[in-house]
Amino acid sequence: MLLRVAVIGLGKMGKLHFLSALRFKDVKLVAVADKSRKNRKVAERFHVKTYDDYTNLIDSEELDAAVISLPNFLKKESIAYASERNLDVFVDKPLARNLAEAEEIARKVRAEDVRLMVGVNYRYFDSVQKLKTIVDEGRVGDVVLATSELVMDGPFSHPLVPKPVPEWWFDKEASGGGALLDLGYHLVDIFNWIFGDLEIEFSALGHRFSLPVEDSAVVVLKSAKTGVRCVVNTGWFSKMIFPNFNFRINLHGTVGYVSTDKFAPRKLYSHAMKEVALNSLKRVMGHQVRYLSYTYYYGSFTEILRQFFESLRKEEELPVRLEEQVQVVNTIDSVYKRFFESLRKEEELPVRLGEQVLH
Amino acid sequence: MVQVVLTKSPGFSEDAIRETVFRAMDLLNYNLKSDTDSVIIKPNLCYYWDYSTGETTDPRIVSGIIDWIRGSLGDDVHIYIAEADASAMRTKYAFKMLGYEKLGLEKKVKLANLSEGEIVEKEVVVAGRKLVLPVNKTLLEKSILISVPKLKYNRTVGFTCALKNIFGAISKPYKYAYHKKLAHVIVAMNKIVRTNIVLVDGIIVSGKTPKKLGVAIAGDDAVACDFVAAKAAGLEPNRIEYWKLAVKEKIGDVNSLVLIENPVKLSEIRKEFPKQNYLLQKWLWRLQLKALRTYARFARDIIPPVLQEDNLS
Repeated sequence: MLLRVAVIGLGKMGKLHFLSALRFKDVKLVAVADKSRKNRKVAERFHVKTYDDYTNLIDSEELDAAVISLPNFLKKESIAYASERNLDVFVDKPLARNLAEAEEIARKVRAEDVRLMVGVNYRYFDSVQKLKTIVDEGRVGDVVLATSELVMDGPFSHPLVPKPVPEWWFDKEASGGGALLDLGYHLVDIFNWIFGDLEIEFSALGHRFSLPVEDSAVVVLKSAKTGVRCVVNTGWFSKMIFPNFNFRINLHGTVGYVSTDKFAPRKLYSHAMKEVALNSLKRVMGHQVRYLSYTYYYGSFTEILRQFFESLRKEEELPVRLEEQVQVVNTIDSVYKRFFESLRKEEELPVRLGEQVLH
Repeated sequence: MVQVVLTKSPGFSEDAIRETVFRAMDLLNYNLKSDTDSVIIKPNLCYYWDYSTGETTDPRIVSGIIDWIRGSLGDDVHIYIAEADASAMRTKYAFKMLGYEKLGLEKKVKLANLSEGEIVEKEVVVAGRKLVLPVNKTLLEKSILISVPKLKYNRTVGFTCALKNIFGAISKPYKYAYHKKLAHVIVAMNKIVRTNIVLVDGIIVSGKTPKKLGVAIAGDDAVACDFVAAKAAGLEPNRIEYWKLAVKEKIGDVNSLVLIENPVKLSEIRKEFPKQNYLLQKWLWRLQLKALRTYARFARDIIPPVLQEDNLS
């Protein structure tokens, strides 16, 4: 079965989805939509039809699925539009800006009887997959404590050709949140996926850059189901030059511990050279290459999109469940609510807590 | 005679940095005219990386400069901290994120975006080549311009300091467009906008890694300051294309340079600087990109958009 798909939004991630979709077997990239003429030109070079408005694209083309890679504030309406036209949807994380929006999306998707998958690509790192297997097989005993780190530059990553950071990232209303909703989402998702039913025990948000959204967050979660305590450390504050990235998950069990670091390449350049050699050999022999495996980081984006298309084609259950994603948004939304509640309470005090500590 | 001062901070506290600024200015003995009514301070805010990365000017050094100006001219002088938008940076966010909005409020100085307001097209000839550059009128009408560049390496031009900091004042945000004739544009901009005082921020430098060096270099000649700064970073100024062109175009003078080293010697700073062979790095980076493109074409693999130049493959 040939899947007819469209990519909506050609920003940083959208371009990556576009390039991936072009290469998949049994996938026909019918058209793309983006408001920017410059971005549309990219698709035109590959002779892919372009639209400046995704509603026109969806109304004009015969499609099976849409890959939505739009800013957070456009997700709800675009998912609704696509699902009303009976399209299955792949959408970049986060699913939504807040719980109310996530629930609305979930209701809509169910009502229209279409399928939606969120691009939580960090699950598709080899190292994370191996970690999950180790937990499932009980190889570190019962996990008691899990810690995680994902600290990078988020939207402030500097591409080879400099481009301004899209303004919506600086706007709380448009983005829904900062580092926790952007990068922390992956960590909460992985813990929710492995351990389930997370409750917040502690949370703190940092604002080093004086932005309306947080640039760092520490959250302690506890799985109601398994009792595992999970620590989420995330931030946008660290300058990171490609191919470096700063991500790890450590699980401490009753029989030792295991870390994603054990399964991730220690030397990214050596890893890249090995993968380049392997893929070149595969190409010579006429086999399928593992797209972007040489970067380690970006390979997971291609892999999750491939899994989505595969599941649609085979009419199997999607590997990422929508209910889980509503839970992830719920956890993050609750952290934000706690934070704003604490600020409100602090304002009501005659002496602010910070001042009391300082004096 | 051209004087350049090389000094070192006794520590990294705000007070120590302020003391360093005052010492540098005292040793330079720059005579601020009493009728000066406006001073523009131009830091180097190239991106949203804060001062701890060594990439952008430390607001504490700018704070010290404001105190020094007020100490010399009184409280009535109009002080502006000015920066222009860059290809990947918007000044309004950089001011907020990098501590300048807070500084502006604390010190009661104005923040100016050189990409906004009245812009004039200035024509200038560099090495027989005519260039027209958009410049904010405020920058041309100021009484005094104090440039506060960073002491750091740069992947495009190898080294960036006082001359390159003025390139950042071009009002057009997409300065990447000038990269093909960068040396000429840097020199052209320095012909259009003359710097009165340079105070190089080497408090945290950026070389192979960031490093707390606590260095300040002061002078009234951008070419001479860049000469000393490049030497401090372990580089040979004669190998920096735009610097050579600036000397040729008589933007400044190094023949009569007198270096005041107090309390530290240039050779000591050079030893401490986190050096890196930037030419080798640049060459290696280009080689890697070329190899990646060749591989991607052959294997029909993807190059991530972050590494794309203009053509996606």
